[in-house]
Amino acid sequence: MDLFAQLLANGLGNGAHYALLGLGFGLIFTTTRIVHFAYGPVFAVSAFAVWLAVAVGGLPLAAGVVLAPLTAAAAGALVYWLAYRPFERRGMSSHSVLILSLGLSIVLESLLTLIFGPNIHTVPGFAPPIFILGPVFLTGLQIGEVIAVLGVAGALLLFLRQTRYGHAILALSDDRDMARIVGIDTDRISLIVFALGSAIAAVAAVFTLLNEGATPSMGFNPVFVAFVVAVVGGLGSIPGSILGGFLVGLVESLGLWKIPTEWQNSIAFVLLFVVLLARPQGLFAGARR
Amino acid sequence: MELVLHIGVMICIYAILATSFNLLIGFSGLFAFGHAVFYALGAYITALTALRLHLPFPLPLILSVIGTGLLGLAVALPALRISGIYLVIITLALQVIAIDVIINWTSLTGGPTGISGIPALSLLGKPLTGPAVFLPAAVIAAAACFLIARHIGDSPFGRSLRAMRENESAAASVGKNIFYMKVSIFGVSAALASVAGSLFAYYLSYVGADSFQVSETVLILSMVVVGGTGNLVGSVLGAALLVILPEALAFVDLPEGIAAQLRLLIYGCVLILFLVFRPEGLLREPRRGGRHAVAVSGNAAAELTTAAPAGGVVLEGTGLRKRFGGITAIDALDIQLTRGRVTGLVGPNGAGKTTAFNLLTGFLPADQGDIRFRGQLLRRLRPHELVRAGIARSFQDLRLFAGMSVLENVLVALPRQRGDGLLTLFLRPLLVRRQDAANTSRAMAILDFIGLADRAFDLAEDLSYAEEKLLVVARLIATEAEVLLFDEPLSGLDAGAMRKIIDLLRRLAAGGKAICIIEHNLEAIRSACDQLIYLDEGRALAQGNPETLMADADLVRRYFR
Repeated sequence: MDLFAQLLANGLGNGAHYALLGLGFGLIFTTTRIVHFAYGPVFAVSAFAVWLAVAVGGLPLAAGVVLAPLTAAAAGALVYWLAYRPFERRGMSSHSVLILSLGLSIVLESLLTLIFGPNIHTVPGFAPPIFILGPVFLTGLQIGEVIAVLGVAGALLLFLRQTRYGHAILALSDDRDMARIVGIDTDRISLIVFALGSAIAAVAAVFTLLNEGATPSMGFNPVFVAFVVAVVGGLGSIPGSILGGFLVGLVESLGLWKIPTEWQNSIAFVLLFVVLLARPQGLFAGARR
Repeated sequence: MELVLHIGVMICIYAILATSFNLLIGFSGLFAFGHAVFYALGAYITALTALRLHLPFPLPLILSVIGTGLLGLAVALPALRISGIYLVIITLALQVIAIDVIINWTSLTGGPTGISGIPALSLLGKPLTGPAVFLPAAVIAAAACFLIARHIGDSPFGRSLRAMRENESAAASVGKNIFYMKVSIFGVSAALASVAGSLFAYYLSYVGADSFQVSETVLILSMVVVGGTGNLVGSVLGAALLVILPEALAFVDLPEGIAAQLRLLIYGCVLILFLVFRPEGLLREPRRGGRHAVAVSGNAAAELTTAAPAGGVVLEGTGLRKRFGGITAIDALDIQLTRGRVTGLVGPNGAGKTTAFNLLTGFLPADQGDIRFRGQLLRRLRPHELVRAGIARSFQDLRLFAGMSVLENVLVALPRQRGDGLLTLFLRPLLVRRQDAANTSRAMAILDFIGLADRAFDLAEDLSYAEEKLLVVARLIATEAEVLLFDEPLSGLDAGAMRKIIDLLRRLAAGGKAICIIEHNLEAIRSACDQLIYLDEGRALAQGNPETLMADADLVRRYFR
């Protein structure tokens, strides 16, 4: 039972992480219909920006952390403007755009490796506070990430519902052609969505940096997890992404009760496999934002 | 010299991988990104059977091909349910799971350390160790795989695959069995890839998970894209280029880790450069189906329009009902199509006309009601089975096979093609070739009848709108179905083109076909149809000859104005 409680807590912590990843990826995918594999390297770039600022530049951690969403937003927007947008303009098929994003993610990841080397980069002198609640052992990062995902989701909901840009994003994800006909500048909205989605991923990247450190390949699994979460939760649904994130986190963590640790990585992928085949529209589809 | 020979062997291995992958993504449009899994399984089966079971060549190779081919059949199952980016993601996930299995199933695969000490491939008691003696074997294997891939690609089956790539539902609507095509091409592609794996295991006498990561699939993908999708020679070139390029690094003194990263960087950059500057690849997809004049065999006009006895209900739907959620699209519809007559299905938008077509042709199952063809009850037949039985339809949005020639669009729709079966393709190649030559002449005759013979070798996407509409008719005729359902064959045409198609429809009806059209243009309906069914809100409100119906005061007020 103690083990179960601990696994539950870990699952919630990981779930928050996954929910953040799914939110950013899902926002980009539902609005622009682009499968953004380069989401991974952008995720890694934002972590390295913080590491550079804090470990090399000597900035205080609190100041460095602010850099993450800013760098990611800039990197995400840049990738859209320089790579995806010209492709879409030329009327290339969605498969070409997808292959382009695969190529981009390989190039960016190997560039990161060439610059930083394959080793783990950690923030020196950082140790998260630890809380012990009865049998359960929690870190400040786990609690922080749960708070972060709720905050980000709340802010995103407000932005989408209350602002002009938010409405434009919703219109675009409903019907691209119609949005264009009513005069929405789809390029600009896509740019904003890429910046926003990448910034959300950066929040998760900061937690990974503080938890495990940064590596150039740190973005590889998150792309898939993000896709799993977005699909499991039902594309285009914010509550769905959050539920999906926690579901994946819990299944993965509670699975450890019966399944050896080395298989933990596969659990999310098996989940993706099953959900895509059985219910491609997602488990929580219908819960529109 | 040793290095050059080694590069030669690697080119052979990757040429096999790239050509087999091209069959999937280039020919069939199935974007399944797990090719390295097939490669890995082939390598591991060979490694294990040669090392642990001491099986002599060629048994390990044969087992690799069979085992991996079976896995390919299994991987096809997701591709039957989902497509596009979802298929990409699910197969990438499969790839990650496969690597996890390889790394974690240590007792079988050696885990992260892999399997070493695989005995060398020995032919006639002579072990092939070292690139110099291995290269000929690799070249032979690669050539064999290439010929198999080309035989499939250039065959009627390959043509059907490309039709499926262009438009899956349209391929089904001309009688192609999508299930069979997907499953078998996955099986073949996987089996071919396993040959590369088997060579790899024999050549390096070592297999490890590192050689089969996601990046390997992306590398193979890059080779196909660089060479040109849909062009098998291109895949060989792409493989050669991407194997040779990074080898230039060997002449620069670099630490091992950096070299591996640079290699990836080069692959990625080449892929992106090609996508940007030459998306069609080094070699374009070849124009298939001939460039030269094809003899017209038989007089299709005479054959198709020789007066046949009219009368007799061929297709009959009774009490058809279809709901989508809370909306009733078709409600208690009775419809009869008669040989020798053109029946018009008219009514406002949303009346359920296209849904009625979908029910009659198996594209949608009816909730209630019976459909009888030549008096026999049809139960749960899939579209391609109904086309083969004799009921074919066209689509309002045409769904031509845009990237194929006009001739091929018609050719692919001809019924009973022996070359559509993989076994026949390899066991009776001469029969297939003979039949295909006859079919080509036949397709040409149909184009001649329709008036498109002079455009036979142009791509369908280069036709004018009126010509596209004519091609739709030609493709439907080619199915040789007795019942032809046309969804808005006349919309958007000028008077001349409209006259031409109406005339064709009349002549086909006179030749004994039962024809049904959905149409809005009243003038066209008056001159094309013998009988009208007025559909509104899913019900047949009135039936009769055009003159009577168009004079009906109530209908005039509702619709005809």
